[in-house]
Amino acid sequence: MAEQQYTVASDSETTGEEKSSSAFPEIAIGIDVGTSQCSVSVWNGSQVELLKNTRNQKLMRSYVTFKDEVPSGGVSNQLSHEYEILSGAAIFNMKRLIGRVDTDPVVHASKRLPFLVQTLDIGVRPFIAALVKNAWRSTTPEEVLAIFLVELRAMAEVQLKRPIRNVVLTIPVSFSRFQLTRIERACAMAGLHVLRLMPEPTAVALLYAQQQQQTIHENMGSGSEKNALIFNMGAGYCDVAVTATAGGVSQIKALAGAAIGGEDILQNMMQHLLPNSENLFLNHGINEIKSLGLLRVATEDAIHRLSSQSSVRVDVDLGNGSKICKVVTREEFEEANQKVFEKCESLITQCLRDSKVDIGDLTDVILVGGCSYIPKIRNVVKGVCKREELYEAINPLEAAVCGAALEGAVASGVSDPFGSLDLLTIQATPLGIGIRADGNSFVPIIPRNTTMPARKELLFTTIHDNQTEALILVYEGEGTQVEENHLLGYFKVVGIPAAPKGVPEINVCMDIDASNALRVFAGVVMQGTDQPMAPFLEVRLPTVDDGHGWCAEALNKTYGSTLDLVTVQKKM
Amino acid sequence: MRCYGLMIPGSETTRFHPSQLKYDPNPILRVKPATRIPIGSFRSKATINAKLTSELGQMSFYELLSIPESGKLPDIKQAYKQLARKYHPDVSPPGQVEEYTQRFIRVQEAYETLSDPRSREIYDRDMARGLHLAFSSRKRYPHQNDEEMEERTVWKNRWQSQLSELKRRSTNMDAGGSMSWAARMRRQREGWSEEL
Repeated sequence: MAEQQYTVASDSETTGEEKSSSAFPEIAIGIDVGTSQCSVSVWNGSQVELLKNTRNQKLMRSYVTFKDEVPSGGVSNQLSHEYEILSGAAIFNMKRLIGRVDTDPVVHASKRLPFLVQTLDIGVRPFIAALVKNAWRSTTPEEVLAIFLVELRAMAEVQLKRPIRNVVLTIPVSFSRFQLTRIERACAMAGLHVLRLMPEPTAVALLYAQQQQQTIHENMGSGSEKNALIFNMGAGYCDVAVTATAGGVSQIKALAGAAIGGEDILQNMMQHLLPNSENLFLNHGINEIKSLGLLRVATEDAIHRLSSQSSVRVDVDLGNGSKICKVVTREEFEEANQKVFEKCESLITQCLRDSKVDIGDLTDVILVGGCSYIPKIRNVVKGVCKREELYEAINPLEAAVCGAALEGAVASGVSDPFGSLDLLTIQATPLGIGIRADGNSFVPIIPRNTTMPARKELLFTTIHDNQTEALILVYEGEGTQVEENHLLGYFKVVGIPAAPKGVPEINVCMDIDASNALRVFAGVVMQGTDQPMAPFLEVRLPTVDDGHGWCAEALNKTYGSTLDLVTVQKKM
Repeated sequence: MRCYGLMIPGSETTRFHPSQLKYDPNPILRVKPATRIPIGSFRSKATINAKLTSELGQMSFYELLSIPESGKLPDIKQAYKQLARKYHPDVSPPGQVEEYTQRFIRVQEAYETLSDPRSREIYDRDMARGLHLAFSSRKRYPHQNDEEMEERTVWKNRWQSQLSELKRRSTNMDAGGSMSWAARMRRQREGWSEEL
């Protein structure tokens, strides 16, 4: 079978929803597209198996090189040298770029990567480009991800000898619903249908639930509830989850996450080694890219060695007349990354608090992801959870993809005679969802860590006399002010009967269904009866497309507060 | 006339008066008639949902979880996990996802209320008084002390921000209108830090 048999559809093309309605169940594969590395796994009938590429690798680098007319990715491509990725021709870290606007600090930090990331700071998609034959050729994070997914798909099809369509993808906890639509778009471009998007630690939680289930079977032990904290930190993101497991059911009690990871640690260390390194790449010259690539490789290597050594020597000639010859100690490393470690600590604390599980009631603490090898990270996790030992029975680099494959098998309706697939994940919302009201405040209707599926409603009222219309701006996030959150969409409720301010009641109801689709219902209700005055509006979100950074400001410019709402404080 | 700025008319501030924000120890006053029709019933599958709603609405949380009223926390947890395996939409037969979703949401509600000692106590007290409340009574049953505290803090902050906005408006009545949104936001933030 030829490997390059799929082409990627244009990003501007709308892909129709093709629901798989075939009679035979196709086992969905699990894919973990990491910021740095990626892996694919599948339920093979008795257990989860990781697929290997032609070079016998289970973990593949996540990047796409635009060298010739046909771009090639880290699945099939044979690298002559690590530096090839850093020559400007390759795009990587797409997971840190996808679905982000050019005002996002994560996008700004990505400007120090050895390819072109350009921002106009107006809230649109950033411009990214790879160096091809001495010209910057533009692409999009979705397109890069799609090219990469096509390679993964081809690899899986060759090995499994069947067409692949359904996938379970793992995602960071902190991804907004808008970012999820971009991941789905990339999958659609690659001809894949997303069965589930699973926050990474919840995939690990499912694997843990399966392991606990098996232990009970083997030892005839009690099936009592076990609480586990899962800390996952890769190159791009850090996620935390607390799960309560019993009888193969993994109930996600709380989630927390942030766009912080190995990439930040790497950039901090590059800055530490070469204090003006952020200026090194301002002009995007070929020699500068080369220097940056050399510095990147040397720094990465030093960080890896610092996991086992207390000090390392960095000796690198950047080729532009500057040489770095330095001994870096672990203390220096930890000091340069102090903020990163503090953030990790606060995420764990927040997640534990939200879960309402006492540290003493945690059965296991599970540490996974590429950064789990860093001694300081291990100490932070152990320290906050007040324990000496971490859970060992899990491969830190393969846990998430294995969980995704389990979910893929369960969601495809596969059952196992030995009960290995008698599993269920009860997911929770990683971010709050609400609307703008009470001035510029974000008023959550479905709070963070609400069990899904969910349905919640809240009453609002007008702020002006005889106000007949109200603007509903739906946001997702944790900030108290709307501008700290992600805008998901907006619409207008009309036909509010003329009445003094504060009298009409506008009901806004949010519904997350079994397939994690979000719908918002809004309408005016008759005072005191809860009966709708007119047909309700039903809006499936997110509705925003690229350039949504503009929308909130444009709406505000046009309408000011004329169509605002405030929450109703019920008379007690 | 278009009015810019975050206007909160004076009369409305009574709604945000802190004295009303205190937790009312008597939950009875918060209770609304249990005849509330969920919005779901306005949708196409109205008949099924309405039937299910009334059917499940008759059951107490204990009945929903199939546990005795004397059930302890481990019993509640176990019952919840068993029912989740039965009613979670992920395990629903094809074509019955919506019904299972509704059932699961109710089981979830029962579990959340009964697994928290505080909200369970309130619920039990209401049951004893003959008040029958099942689904959608969550709003009237704050689960947790800290959640309630959080809610109060949020309200207090909202009230304060509304008040500070009023103050600002009275000192420079029309200044907000010609300012850009960003400028207004900045100003608002500055104002807060001064006043807090």
